Amino acid sequence: MGSQENFEAIPIGMDLGTFEMILDEDTVRDRTDLIQWQAKGPAEKGFAAPGITISQHARMKFEALPEMKVSIWAKSEQEFLKPMKLGSKIFIRGRVVDKYVKRGRNYMVTDLETVDETGEVLMLSHETAVYVE
Amino acid sequence: MERATKRINIGTEIPSLTKTAYMPIDPNTRNVIHTDDYARDFGMRGALIGGSTLLSYVVEMLYNYFGDNWIYHGKIKVSFIGGGAINGDVVTAHGQVAAVEPEEAGDRITLDVWLENQTQDKVVIGEASCILV
Repeated sequence: MGSQENFEAIPIGMDLGTFEMILDEDTVRDRTDLIQWQAKGPAEKGFAAPGITISQHARMKFEALPEMKVSIWAKSEQEFLKPMKLGSKIFIRGRVVDKYVKRGRNYMVTDLETVDETGEVLMLSHETAVYVE
Repeated sequence: MERATKRINIGTEIPSLTKTAYMPIDPNTRNVIHTDDYARDFGMRGALIGGSTLLSYVVEMLYNYFGDNWIYHGKIKVSFIGGGAINGDVVTAHGQVAAVEPEEAGDRITLDVWLENQTQDKVVIGEASCILV
């Protein structure tokens, strides 16, 4: 199947699966270092820096869409609702909610929800990315 | 550190945050826009820094200003424009108050936000808001 055929075959509503992550010391430190986060406030209160799990969203898309070679964010919306507690387990659930072609480029729109072990929603994400094979 | 107060004027620019953009280049990455060769073929200056990393620079500026309010009431909606950022770019996050609107939990402060590089080219533009409780 060609690139455009693969893109056209992606169903709206496609489940990107659920990614489980434990916010242990090493994981949080690695991600905090990666984004050069300096503010001490969150860690002093036992929270991860807001947004340190967002880089996982693209990885979920690559797992679900093996033909995809490149994903470049065009737009990103994030709503922060509750802190992600250090040492806790979180779950990120995602699905494809739209796709379109603009100026010859394929775009895929995804919604993701990050919840804690009790199902409490911590963060909502709505992201649009250029899709390239 | 200058923090948001309940007396805030439209047009106020919040303290900016400057970082030297960096993302380790993994030659085995699934997302090949983060490799030099592919990114140059795609018309970029080099391996692109991930959008989530650029977003995190803006989020840290907002956390610095809004404090823990950001973790519970922060919203951000941005577009990625221009040529993005590559390792070594000096990028500065900016925010300027655009609106103050009362909500049940407190005043929601809306800002225009952007991230610009060392030549003042904007690479991220958008809007962010947070309730001051």
